[in-house]
Amino acid sequence: MRTPFARFTPKTRLAAGAVAAVLSLSPLAACGGGSSGGGGDAKSLTMWTFKQSHVAALKNAAAEFKKQTGISVDVQAYGPDDAYTTKVQAAAKTHDLPDVLEVHSDGEDFALGATGIAKDISQDVGSDWSGLYQKGVQTSGTVTPAHYKESIPSDSKSHGVKQGQRFSVPLTSGTFGIVMGNKKALAAAGITQPPASYEEWLADLKATTAKDPKNGGVSLGLKVKATGLTWALQPLAFAELGKDKYQALWGQDASADFSSPDGQKVLAAYAQMQPYWMPGTQTLDIDAADQAFAQGKSAWDIGGTFTLAFLQQNGMNPDDVMAFGFPGPQGGAVPKPALAPLALTGLTVSSTSAHPDNALKWMKFLAQPDVASKFAKDATEVPSTELGADAASVMGATLADMTKAFEGTPENTYDPNVNDFRPPGYDQDSMAEILADLTPLKQKSPEATGKALAKLNNNFWATANK
Amino acid sequence: MSTVPRPALTETAAAGRGATPRPAGAAGPGGGRRIRRHRTYEAVSGYLFVAPAVILFAVMGLYTVGYGFLLSFAQWNGFAPHWDWVGLQNYKDLLWQNPAYAPRLHHAAMHTLYVMIAVPLLTVLVSFPLAVLLNSAKRMQGVLRSVYFVPYVTSGIAVFFAWQYILQPDGAVNTVLGSLGLGSLSQPQGWLGNPHTALPTMIVVTVWGAVPVAMLLYLTGLQGIDRSVLEASQLDGAGWWRTNVSVVWPLVRPITSIVVLLNLRDSLQGFQTFLVMTNGGPGDHTNVLGLEAYRLAFLKDLAPTLGLASALGWLLFAAALVIALINLRVMRSKT
Repeated sequence: MRTPFARFTPKTRLAAGAVAAVLSLSPLAACGGGSSGGGGDAKSLTMWTFKQSHVAALKNAAAEFKKQTGISVDVQAYGPDDAYTTKVQAAAKTHDLPDVLEVHSDGEDFALGATGIAKDISQDVGSDWSGLYQKGVQTSGTVTPAHYKESIPSDSKSHGVKQGQRFSVPLTSGTFGIVMGNKKALAAAGITQPPASYEEWLADLKATTAKDPKNGGVSLGLKVKATGLTWALQPLAFAELGKDKYQALWGQDASADFSSPDGQKVLAAYAQMQPYWMPGTQTLDIDAADQAFAQGKSAWDIGGTFTLAFLQQNGMNPDDVMAFGFPGPQGGAVPKPALAPLALTGLTVSSTSAHPDNALKWMKFLAQPDVASKFAKDATEVPSTELGADAASVMGATLADMTKAFEGTPENTYDPNVNDFRPPGYDQDSMAEILADLTPLKQKSPEATGKALAKLNNNFWATANK
Repeated sequence: MSTVPRPALTETAAAGRGATPRPAGAAGPGGGRRIRRHRTYEAVSGYLFVAPAVILFAVMGLYTVGYGFLLSFAQWNGFAPHWDWVGLQNYKDLLWQNPAYAPRLHHAAMHTLYVMIAVPLLTVLVSFPLAVLLNSAKRMQGVLRSVYFVPYVTSGIAVFFAWQYILQPDGAVNTVLGSLGLGSLSQPQGWLGNPHTALPTMIVVTVWGAVPVAMLLYLTGLQGIDRSVLEASQLDGAGWWRTNVSVVWPLVRPITSIVVLLNLRDSLQGFQTFLVMTNGGPGDHTNVLGLEAYRLAFLKDLAPTLGLASALGWLLFAAALVIALINLRVMRSKT
C-alpha cells in the first residue's frame, strides 16, 4: 500500500521531519528561556502579595508613589498562602521573581534570605527608616541572636542566615488570640462588656449558647491545625503559669512539661471550652470559621487583628464586633495578660531585582505615616508604622480596641515571637492534632493528652539532640 | 493503492521510498549508493519525526523521575541552591528511625490500609450489580448510563467542596435523616467532624467517585459475554441470581481484577479528596500516606523536607508495584 507520504522525495521528508522536530520542541525552548525577572525598566516595579485584602490598598499607594517618583508599581496577588509559596518557589527556579515580595514576617523572609532569594537589606534600612515603625516591630526581618540560634541545625528552614542580616521590613502588625463577639448576639444574652477573666468568658459562652444553642458558640478554623494551639491554648497557658513555667511546658524536664501538674492544669482549663464550640468548627478553615461568625452562625470567633478586614469583606460591620485579647484565668500567674504585637507581614526585595534601589524606595514610601494611615483605612489592617495618637481615628474603634491588647509590661505580655525555648524541628501541627483530641473532639482526657504532647515534644528534642 | 504488478524490488519497499521501481539486479554501483542514501534519508527523517516525543519523554519523564529519585537521598527545601546529601537517612527516618516522622507515617499507613481495603471492595460491590441492572434495562439504557457516569465527569474540587457542605452539621445528609425521622443517626458535629465517621465518610465519597468507571468497565465485560452461554445456563434451570453468581461473575473476573487494581492504586497514592475535604482532620483521623507526602513537600513552612516527601513517594511507588505484581499473578492464575 502506498501511503500519501510516499509521494515525497527523501529530501522533502527529511526537511519535513526537521521542521516538525524543531516546531515540536520550540515550546520546550520557550520554557527554558530564562526571564531576567525582577521587573522591567527603571521606571516600573512588580510586587507580589498573598493578601487579597491588601491589593486595593497597595494599588492606591502605588498611584500616589507614581505621582511622587514617576515609578509605577504593578501589584499582583496570588493566594492562598500555600499557593503563593509554591508560586515563589517556582519563580525562584525560573529566575522570574518580582522586585518586591510580601512575606510572612520573621519566618518566610529568613527562609528566602537563607537561600539567596531575598536580598540582605541591613545596610539600606537605617534608623531614620526603622524608627518609623512601632517599637515592638522595628527590628522585624532582622536575624537576631535568637533567630540565629534557631537557624543553626541543618534541618532548620532558615539554616544559613547570618546574625545581623535583614531580609524584610514590616508592613502589617497585629497578633493572634483576639476574641471577637457579635454585639447583637451578646446583647441578646445580656452581655454588654468584655469579660474580665477566662472564667467570666466561659460564663458568657454559657449564656450565649443557652440563649441560642445552635448559633451561640465559638468558631475557630481548626481545620488549619495549629490555630487551637497557638491562638487559644498558648495565651491561656501563659496567663495560667507565667512566662517561665509556660516555656517549661516545651522543655525536657518531665516535672514541668505537659504531663506535669502544670500541664494538666492548663489542659483542664482549655478543655472547659468543650461545650461551647460551634458545631463542626473542627472541619472549617480560618476563612470559613470567620465567615460563619460574619453570617451569625456563631456568636464568638477566635482570630487575630487581621480578622476584622475579612469580616468586613464578608458584610459585617466592624462596629458590631466586640474585641478583646484572650482572657487570663482569675487565679493564674498573669490574670491580665497583654499580647505582644508582632509583624505579621513584611516586604522583601528579591535578589534578582534589576532595580533594588527603586524597590527600597517603594518599601520606605509605604512606611511613611500618611501612606500607612491610608493603607490602614483601605485594608482595615494595623500597619507596622507608628501612627501615634491618630491610631484610633485612622483604624476605627474596633481595630483600636484590638490594639489595646498590646498594652502591657514585659512580665505580663505573651509574645508569640519568642520561640527559642521549643525544640529545633518542632512541628506545631503535629502537637495541635493531639490537642484537638482533647477538645473539640473529646477523644482524650487532659491526662492522656498531656502524656501524648510530652511524648511528641520529647521526640522533637531527641531528634534535635542527635 | 497500486494494483499494477511490479517485479523484483518488492512493491512495498519501492512504494515506501516513493522511487521508480527497477528490476532486480539492475542496480549498479551507483544504484547501491543511491539506495544507501535513500535508507539514510529515511532513517534520519524517521528519527527526526520521533525526536520530539523521545525528547519530551526524556525531559518530562526520565529527567523528572530521576530528579525525584535523587532528591529522595537529599535534604532540600525547594529554594536552596544546593542539596545536602543524606543517603538513605530519609527512608530510615520515615520508616522507623525518626520519632518525629515515623509514628505519623505508621498512623497514616493504617488509615491508608483501611481505605485500600474498603474502597476496592465497596466499588466492586456497588458497580457490578449496577452494571448488571443497567445491562438488563430494556429502555433508556443510554440515559441511565450517563446518569451513573455523572460523578466521574463532575469529580473535581468543586464537587468535593459541595460534599463538604452536604456533610456539615446543617448539611443535606443530616437534614434528610431528620426529615425521615432518623435524627438519631445524624451527626451533630457533621460527618467529617466526628473522628469515628470521618474516615468512613471519606471512603464513601471516594467510592462515589470510583463507581462510574468501574461500572462502565463491567458493562463492557457484560456486553462481551456470549449470549449462548447465558441461554445454556437458563436452559439448565439457573435463575437470574444463579446465572449472575455462577456464570457472569466468573466471566468478568478479569474486569474485577482491573477495577481492584485501579482502586488499590488510587487509594494508595490519591490524596486530593482528603486534602480538600479534611486536610487529614479532624485531628489526624483521616491522614493518609499521599497527604502526608504532600504535607512534607509543601505544608512544612519551607522546612527542608522535600527529600522526605520524595522518599515517601518512592515508598508508595514500591508498594504500588508490589500490589500490581500480586494482582497480575492472581489474574494469571484465575484466567
